[in-house]
Amino acid sequence: MNAMVPAGHGSCLPRVGEDFPSAGGSGHMAVNGSVISMTAIDVKDLTKVYGQVRAVDHLTFSVRPGQVTGFLGPNGAGKSTTMRLILGLDRPSSGTATIGGRPFTRLAEPLRHVGALLDAQAPHGSRTARSHLLALAASNRIPDRRVDEVLELTGIASAASRRVKTFSLGMRQRLGIAAALLGDPQVLLLDEPSNGLDPEGIIWIRELMRSLARENRTVLVSSHLMGETASFADHLIVLGKGRLLADTPTKDFIAARIKPRVRVRTTEPARLREVLLRHGHTPVESDDGRILIDDARIEAIGPLAAQEGIVLLELASEEATLEQAYLDLTATATEFTARAPQEA
Amino acid sequence: MSTAAVLRSEWIKIRTLRGTAWSLLAVFLLTAGFAIAANAAIGDSEADSADFDALFSVFLGLNLGQIAAISFGTMAMSSEYQGGAIRASLTAVPNRGLFYAAKLANVAGLALAMGLVTTFVSFLGGSAFLGDAALSLGDGDALRACLGGAVYLALMALFAAGLTAVLRSGLAVLSILIPFILIVSMILGETSGSLADYLPDRAGQQVLYVDPPSDLAPWAGLGVTALWTGAAVLAGWWSLRRRDA
Repeated sequence: MNAMVPAGHGSCLPRVGEDFPSAGGSGHMAVNGSVISMTAIDVKDLTKVYGQVRAVDHLTFSVRPGQVTGFLGPNGAGKSTTMRLILGLDRPSSGTATIGGRPFTRLAEPLRHVGALLDAQAPHGSRTARSHLLALAASNRIPDRRVDEVLELTGIASAASRRVKTFSLGMRQRLGIAAALLGDPQVLLLDEPSNGLDPEGIIWIRELMRSLARENRTVLVSSHLMGETASFADHLIVLGKGRLLADTPTKDFIAARIKPRVRVRTTEPARLREVLLRHGHTPVESDDGRILIDDARIEAIGPLAAQEGIVLLELASEEATLEQAYLDLTATATEFTARAPQEA
Repeated sequence: MSTAAVLRSEWIKIRTLRGTAWSLLAVFLLTAGFAIAANAAIGDSEADSADFDALFSVFLGLNLGQIAAISFGTMAMSSEYQGGAIRASLTAVPNRGLFYAAKLANVAGLALAMGLVTTFVSFLGGSAFLGDAALSLGDGDALRACLGGAVYLALMALFAAGLTAVLRSGLAVLSILIPFILIVSMILGETSGSLADYLPDRAGQQVLYVDPPSDLAPWAGLGVTALWTGAAVLAGWWSLRRRDA
């Protein structure tokens, strides 16, 4: 096992047993000469067709340990389906999904390897939070005291003996996260974990995911919110209509997708326009009399105006938001698939 | 996966649902309560009637008790299909055969245990009012009816559980089975000696008579019910194994 980076609450996640046949940490193993991670999620050419709908369409990606991977896409992009396929809940039409090289359904005592939050409504309403977790723990021979630990860790210990149907959405979400953490797993799949959480809860789950990744665990988190995901994910996998649109470090995604833009206001708009055009810029007049220049930086526009002796009343850098870049990306995918049947 | 661990997990699930505990208790209260109340009211006044059966007269309440047994089996399984609980269950136990078998084993075990208490109490309590017409527990037919009646209750609970796995809805199963048993089967049952004798409830109830009304022998009748249950359980397994959770 590799050395774990000591994290804020690493001590809150004690190991639950010694009998981890495969994923006892972040070990690596050589198979056929190539090194594969024992805890990586590998999706290869995965396809799931429901009737006429291709929910997941030849999807291939890997999720590595030691970082938080954001799984993005609009509603209906196939994120939840992909997670269910990884967990063996749905049967793929073709392709494979493995965890540490093995299909999920082949794992003995899978809660000790993989924790999943799928649906906050999952626990039966008339059970108490504690009995729900006790039943799950028992099946994987996880000691009962671990149930109390995760209840404590997720902040719902005081509601442990309340029936789940009395829980708010946020509390159900915390219960779902408690269930995912039961077996102290090396791999976590969290479907929209911040759903229903209050602002404090959102910060808590974000910190939790960061610290799990620091402990070299594999963390896959789905969301349909780009801005939120970019704030904690190291890597992004973006889906649109079941297809892979991007698989890239968050840093690179931002650098490549966010186009700079300059906004200026001047006393001589006509002359500035002409100067800008001459220097290869594409100025656009906005409704309020300002000029917008795409793909330009203030460092270039300011000196240019000064050189020409044009008085600037305002010079500002305007960045298209990450959310906009993401919407542009997924909108393209929608168009593409909408056109596809005509090509056939 | 450890079979014992999965059995224990299903045991925790079944005993932490209120509905299952109540319906199990209802099996006993309805069956034994009816046996005692009806026989206390009628006593041995019917004993000379041609239709009188010293065994079935104490097991009349089983017609009600089986509805509770069906509810028990249905609820134990349908709790998995409410709000996607089955996804959490199969993420913990991806071996669907083991999951299904462990759940059914709990259903069968609990229904059989409660069934034994129910049939013996019904027999002893009901017979107490039959005077000279009563059979003793030492009688082979009496013991067969008590044991067979308990097995019958367990089979009905399993039948309902299997059907619930097929239809994935407790409501659907109960709204099929309860009217069927209360109305269809009772009406068809009047026409003895027909195919109605092979209905799951009619066939199995032959084990509750000294002199069964149909052509089926007591244990053969229970065997027919067992076949129905086996079919429902297999259909449930096929559905669970084949379909996306």
